[in-house]
Amino acid sequence: MFAILCVTTCYCSTSMFIFVSAGVGKSCLLLQFTDKRFQPVHDLTIGVEFGARLIGIDNNPIKLQIWDTAGQESFRSITRSYYRGAAGALLVYDITRRETFNHLTSWLEDARQHANANMTVMLIGNKCDLAHRRAVSTEEGEQFAKEHGLVFMEASAKTAQNVEEAFISTAAKIYKKIQDGVIDISNESYGIKLGHQTGAGLSGGRDGSASQAGSCCG
Amino acid sequence: MQETEIHDLSDDADYAASQQQGSASMMRCESGKRSSSNEPEGAEVLYMKDNVTIHPTQFASERISGRLKLIKQSSSLFMTWIPYKGQSTNARLSEKDMNLYTIRAVPFADVRSIRRHTPAFGWQYIIVVLSSGLAFPPLYFYNGGVREFLATVKQHVVLLRLVCARDNFEFMFKVFTVLATVPRPRMSAEHANVFLVNDFQNPLQRTLSSLELPRAVSLSIVPSTPVSGGESASQENGERTDVDVLDGSPSIRQFYRRERQKVHDPARDISMQLLEKFSLVTKFAREATSQLFWETPSNAFSLFERGSSNLSAIDSSQKPRDDVLELPVPVPPDPLELDKLSLAWGKPRQPPLGLEEWATFLDSEGRVVDSKALRKRIFYGGVEHKLRKEVWEILLGYQSYESTYAEKEYQRSNRKTEYEIIKNQWQSISPEQEKRFTKFRERKGLIEKDVVRTDRSISFYGGDGNANLSFLHNVLLTYSFYNFDLGYCQGMSDLLSPILFVMEDESESFWCFVALMERLGPNFNRDQNGMHSQLFALSKLVELLDAPLHNYFKQKDCLNYFICFRWILLQFKRELEYDQTMRLWEVLWTHHLSEHLHLYVCVALLKRYRGKIIGEQMEFDTLLKFINELSGHIDIDVTLRDAEALCLCAGENGSACIPPGTPPSLPREDGFLFNSELDDTVL
Repeated sequence: MFAILCVTTCYCSTSMFIFVSAGVGKSCLLLQFTDKRFQPVHDLTIGVEFGARLIGIDNNPIKLQIWDTAGQESFRSITRSYYRGAAGALLVYDITRRETFNHLTSWLEDARQHANANMTVMLIGNKCDLAHRRAVSTEEGEQFAKEHGLVFMEASAKTAQNVEEAFISTAAKIYKKIQDGVIDISNESYGIKLGHQTGAGLSGGRDGSASQAGSCCG
Repeated sequence: MQETEIHDLSDDADYAASQQQGSASMMRCESGKRSSSNEPEGAEVLYMKDNVTIHPTQFASERISGRLKLIKQSSSLFMTWIPYKGQSTNARLSEKDMNLYTIRAVPFADVRSIRRHTPAFGWQYIIVVLSSGLAFPPLYFYNGGVREFLATVKQHVVLLRLVCARDNFEFMFKVFTVLATVPRPRMSAEHANVFLVNDFQNPLQRTLSSLELPRAVSLSIVPSTPVSGGESASQENGERTDVDVLDGSPSIRQFYRRERQKVHDPARDISMQLLEKFSLVTKFAREATSQLFWETPSNAFSLFERGSSNLSAIDSSQKPRDDVLELPVPVPPDPLELDKLSLAWGKPRQPPLGLEEWATFLDSEGRVVDSKALRKRIFYGGVEHKLRKEVWEILLGYQSYESTYAEKEYQRSNRKTEYEIIKNQWQSISPEQEKRFTKFRERKGLIEKDVVRTDRSISFYGGDGNANLSFLHNVLLTYSFYNFDLGYCQGMSDLLSPILFVMEDESESFWCFVALMERLGPNFNRDQNGMHSQLFALSKLVELLDAPLHNYFKQKDCLNYFICFRWILLQFKRELEYDQTMRLWEVLWTHHLSEHLHLYVCVALLKRYRGKIIGEQMEFDTLLKFINELSGHIDIDVTLRDAEALCLCAGENGSACIPPGTPPSLPREDGFLFNSELDDTVL
């Protein structure tokens, strides 16, 4: 399972993406972040779906557009094309399923190969509410993140623990790269677009559903 | 199955009646020989023809017959067509309708052109286009007499005959088939001749009046830009710079050269710029006229290419004003506008096939007598739900059309045994064995995960511990043993869900799913070759059927058509309501017209929204999002009609866009099969 997070701000816009193995809860994470709810039953993702939310970093409103892509390996040749123009990625595994952790390397290589070099990647160990079924320790996650230069966090789409933080800290890292001039905002392949402050541009929610965009600005 | 759309003249009661009536009352006047008491003082009837008829709707039964006359008064020529009173063949056509179509003394000074059509089957007809852009509906000469009509006209006004390249004719005719709703003829047998009319009484004035109107119209739309600037610029230079993009065909080039010598440029201007939206008929005429004078689908594309550097140069009058004003960017005209095409080419949808009618397709032992007629019937209306089980088994190829009730029952029982054997292969894997069987464990795990998130909002799959979920699971896992190379892929549960919903039986569902996967399996190949070949074909079809849109996608780097990925992979299941999905699928499975109707459905949808897509200058991401959000907003009946029209219109050129073996065609023998080294590693 795999998702792309795309950030758009009013003064500039950024895109980034998250990715996860199949069935680790990517759509749930996204829904928790955009709609602040947990929906255990959610149609499996085919192709790509979208979520969006407006957040604020340093008092600058930023629109995160999140691309939620199909997780199964067989779709990888297609989903790769979505990497382009992404400023960030959330790489997610399921702490209760060891194999999802084992597949991280291949996903990461794929992302690094097909996305821009300055893409910010954050590693998320999802389902940390299921500690009793844990199959991957926190230390292992930290170790992997350290080895690959990722930011790491365990989260739970169900309890919303760290979900907000994961998305926002990823967005903040991208924002910092913009501030530092690491990312050239005039080049759209970095996944950042100058925004137009229009009503439409600030709408949010999953696939156009009613959203609470802006409710958590600042 | 009745062929309602084909009007066989010999069986047509209306036609027979008109023949009778015609023979009784027909009188043809030699030119200048007779004056009618009905005509004003000093008017001379030069020509009169009875049973000249208008077909105002698609329905053959609704026709208005009348009398066509050419009248000369004060040395000007007029045309009139008066419908017969109380002779309407259908109550739905009111007196008001009749009046609407009445042509009252139109001076030939106002006539831009007359187009004569001589279909291989059916009546000759003419279309009269006024210099204002208004086109009268086609006038069908039930009793012949087109030649005399033109000869008479020719004696009084200048008729300039245009000779066009055949390609253009064919295209033009397609447009007019729509307009005329005549039986669909063989294109190659069709002749259409266009006569430009010029009233020699006052040629100068006529030319001037033709010139002024279009300018005025255009300028009011785009005040700062000369309309079709690129076009006139190239003409001012004395050379048509876009000749080389007219697909290089010498005949077309010749046509353009000849056309330029013969036809005054204002004629082209008029045809391109006039013809505001008086009526649907007028719009048809506009398109046909523009096709004739300027645009072929391929150079419409070139127009847009030129326009991309100077978008405002695109002829805005091609679009209704409202659209142009709403959109930030002018949208290049659609070379094949759906509303026009679908009106006549896409037939009205029928009610679904019911039990009684179904029985008429079967012989006493249950064989389908005429499979082609059955498929055609289902194509136009689908089937009622209670019949689906029986019909789907046949459409999918699990049961044969020729099987009797008894043979079908025998097949069912055999296949059930076979299913149980395959199912038992995985059921017999012990927990101990499973521990050392990673691939099985992963496959099973993914199926378990996906089954519980497949159509849970449908009551059939809703609720905890629903037995139907186990059936889904069992069929999918059994299939992954039946076709171990392909295994299980996400999306399969979506495809199986309606099948199980209809079959309500594990074994039957399994075999129907197997039959479906024979065709759609390559969609799930690891290298996605099935998807890629369909997306490629889609791009070719859009190029053929909407060159400006194709160019737009090219410009936006969207020619991979990943935006349509989900549409194709799941055959629109995520885009439609559940019952609409079933309706669409049974229509697609008929393979009537094309095995690849789903690709035309894609084109139809893209064309429906082309104005929005191009107008809002959607990029890959916004486009993808927009397409996703069409889910739940698609009217399947309208879309199918559009797709049918596009498919017919594309004809062999459309088929040529689709490489052999493209799903859902059965895989070719020569290695288009599943790649055996595929690994279904689950991530």
